[in-house]
Amino acid sequence: MNGRLSGKIALVTGGRGGIGRAICDRFQREGATVYAADLSEGGSLSGAGAGRFLRLDVTSEDETRAAMDRVMGEEGRLDVLVNAAGIEIEHTIEHTSLADWNRIFAINVTGTFLPSKYALPLLRRGAAAGGNGQASIINFGSYDGFIADPGLAAYCASKGAVHALTRAMACDHGSEGIRVNAICPGYVDTPMLRSFFGGAGSGAGGGALDTVLDQVKAIHPTRTCGTPEDIANLVNWLASDEARYASGQLWVLDGGLSAQVQQMRF
Amino acid sequence: MTRAIITGGSRGIGRAIVDRLLADGAQVLTCGRGDRPSDLPAAVLWAQADVANPAEAAALFAKARAAFGPVDVLVNNAGVQIEKTVAETTDADWDQLIGINCRGSFNMCRAFLNQPDARGAIVNIGSISGDVADPSMAIYNASKAFVHGLTRSIAVDHGPHVRCNAIRPGWIQTGMLEAGFALATDPARARADALARHAARRFGTPADIANTVAWLVSDQSGFVTGQCFTIDGGLTAASPLQPGLIFNQD
Repeated sequence: MNGRLSGKIALVTGGRGGIGRAICDRFQREGATVYAADLSEGGSLSGAGAGRFLRLDVTSEDETRAAMDRVMGEEGRLDVLVNAAGIEIEHTIEHTSLADWNRIFAINVTGTFLPSKYALPLLRRGAAAGGNGQASIINFGSYDGFIADPGLAAYCASKGAVHALTRAMACDHGSEGIRVNAICPGYVDTPMLRSFFGGAGSGAGGGALDTVLDQVKAIHPTRTCGTPEDIANLVNWLASDEARYASGQLWVLDGGLSAQVQQMRF
Repeated sequence: MTRAIITGGSRGIGRAIVDRLLADGAQVLTCGRGDRPSDLPAAVLWAQADVANPAEAAALFAKARAAFGPVDVLVNNAGVQIEKTVAETTDADWDQLIGINCRGSFNMCRAFLNQPDARGAIVNIGSISGDVADPSMAIYNASKAFVHGLTRSIAVDHGPHVRCNAIRPGWIQTGMLEAGFALATDPARARADALARHAARRFGTPADIANTVAWLVSDQSGFVTGQCFTIDGGLTAASPLQPGLIFNQD
């Protein structure tokens, strides 16, 4: 079904990354005006994607303010903010430097706080303008905010912070017509996941990447990893007016992975 | 003075709880569907009973009250496990498992709360499987989720005088666990793999659960109610998918 976001103005941070790109593409097909905010036009992939590119470092207060000023000037409001910018650092706390710790919190947590903070005046206008009197913020948590993957300590902690921030924002701004939810993906086939399996942090070194991915898929009840499009399907719904009663929730989307007890073999 | 009823105390976790509360000075009645175990300490009162039967559950309280007065501690430990998916589960399986795990817990809690002077602490034995699924254990998993929900309801409804909590054990070293490994194609490897998935690098012991029960029925936990505590050596704190364990095989 197309047109669910017809007439809506949306901004997606990390809009040129693996998942962000799929979200921008979907939003555009659903009729939204999309700003793809990222560090560069290519992001973590190559080439342009859907939506108007907007240069944004989510850790910079000045750039965030400027980005929202541009949207305000061009569209006069914002209906949907997706905080999809994020990074992963693959270490235990013992091998995480303070600089790395600060960097991942700056991007994953501060990078959710700042765009949300400076989007609020625009989102209030969006809520006032929309037929259903509401605007939507969608944050990116992770199933790692609930249960740990080995060697990802700072990442797990940063996503737990996003989960708590999501509930807090939903409480504080619900009365203004702003809904706030988080999506908590499991294993999604993105450049970040391939980097995780290529790196030492996962302990998965050795096997050819495709073999590794096949075995990872087999652990899932659905026997597959997620795709960026799977995530975009849920973002699209949470952004739409069909989700008008959904707020303050953490939506785990992981192919059933975390519904299981650890899967022992042999 | 603690006067306790512990269901399913003939062996395993239940027996460890019996031994511990006895050592802590409690008067204890325990029950099972069979005869009194020959190695049960003489100080423990035994009753043959099926907790799934409401009259037999109520009779346990009558017996305990006649022997040592109002019961102020109830530990619902009796439980069975059936290793089947929903499609494989028969009506008889349902009646047996839900009868003991769900109705039995309910019967005992109701009998405890219907004492004219009901006060004290209830501890229900749930399971990590009530929150995350073990494969081919469908109605067992569901029955433990019932136990967790019942625990919160009792805590909320009977707050002033009765505390009610649950324990969610993980893999505890009992005859049941060893039987599981024996079924693996490579039991030694299955055991090593399972151990590696526990942050504690060991399985639980019945005493680990008894330690938690002892705390939850003591004054030390006087403000604790309505909670479900996971005691699993860290098993469920980690993802079900641990790449390092899957791929670093010889």
